[in-house]
Amino acid sequence: MTTLSFNNYDFTLESKGPFSSLYFNEKLKMAICFADEEYIPIDNFKEMFLHVSVLIEKFEIKHLVFDKRKLRTFHQPSMEWYFAVWKPAIKNKGLVNHYKILPKLDWFEKAVEAGKYEIFQKFSKEILNGIRITYVNSIEEAVENII
Amino acid sequence: METSYFKEQLQAKEDMLAQTTRFLVQTQHKLEEKNKELVLANKDIFDSINFAALIQNSLLPDIDILKIFFKDASFKIMQQIGIGGDTVFIKNTNNGVVFGLLDSTGHGVPAAMLSISGTLLLKELMTSMEIDNPQTLFNLLNYQLHKTFNNSSSSIAHKEGVIFSFSSSQNKLIYSSAKGKALLLHKTGEFEELANTKKSLGDDANTEFELFDMKVTSGDKLIMYSDGLTDQFGGEKNKKFSRDRLKKILSTRPGTNAGEMVKIIEEEFTIWKSTNAQTDDVSFMIIEF
Repeated sequence: MTTLSFNNYDFTLESKGPFSSLYFNEKLKMAICFADEEYIPIDNFKEMFLHVSVLIEKFEIKHLVFDKRKLRTFHQPSMEWYFAVWKPAIKNKGLVNHYKILPKLDWFEKAVEAGKYEIFQKFSKEILNGIRITYVNSIEEAVENII
Repeated sequence: METSYFKEQLQAKEDMLAQTTRFLVQTQHKLEEKNKELVLANKDIFDSINFAALIQNSLLPDIDILKIFFKDASFKIMQQIGIGGDTVFIKNTNNGVVFGLLDSTGHGVPAAMLSISGTLLLKELMTSMEIDNPQTLFNLLNYQLHKTFNNSSSSIAHKEGVIFSFSSSQNKLIYSSAKGKALLLHKTGEFEELANTKKSLGDDANTEFELFDMKVTSGDKLIMYSDGLTDQFGGEKNKKFSRDRLKKILSTRPGTNAGEMVKIIEEEFTIWKSTNAQTDDVSFMIIEF
């Protein structure tokens, strides 16, 4: 069994795909998605989040971290699917916090901002309701927030 | 990794770049629109301030009144934003002249309003009640300021300053000071600190300001100034201009008349301040006996 440790909490590997991996800690009710490549094709992105959905229901996961530090390509259709399909579907399943870690690249942050702006234009800001999204600098910071 | 993955990633990168560019162009347009609005709003504000400064400056006294009684006199007012709380007061009486320098709380528009109301009140007291005693003027000004602006629920108007009354028939100079900043430079080069009631005007309706005598001889210089002059940060080590620096400027130029000395202080202040922001309204007045 592969585990990773953050703030003395072990996270167990739940699934590993070609572009991402998913870990969780049952006690903390926390899951961590890692982007393992510069780009995640949309089908693999959806698959990863469907794994997260299963985890949320199975272990009552309340906190999700998405570590995107390895990403170098922002994919708008994936982000739209996340906001318009996955988030509403997961609503009321118990997930409270979604922590996001971006690569420390100004242009990437600007691309995310541009993507969000287009989504808000398309779907309105109501789409943000429900899960609290917080940007953090590290997984340790996210864990620190909930313990 | 398959070629199709890199092709898809490349397409996603191109889409991302196009989307970000679109967003940045839109943001730039919005910023340009906001900037236009700010430029217009800024112009309105500064037009208003410049006109208000014209009004405030038109209320400044004529320095030539003092030159009737004394060898030379000059003053300089440098408000932080064109208008402000510093002012000088000069008004002739039946028997001489009343003059002084007053610094109202804060700076900018509210300080200018307090400054003008204080000046008009002093003029009213002198004209309608024929008061020329500095102590009485300060006691009444203090009472009126406190009653009008400062009460149990708010305290907004305070002034510091010094006011003199010169009687030409008696050749006598008396004054009252409310934390006023003033120095007397004797012809011999020695400085004399002026006495002071350590209370601001408007703080407490019951304050009794003291009356002091001042003995001067020909060649002595009286310097009144606001704390904006000595508290200005600048110089190589970003320190305050300071009272000591002011004394040094005054004492190292013994033969300089009041008009020239005011210009020198202004120049020294400007050099000291350099590119630093002016932190307060600044004023100073010099009388040469």
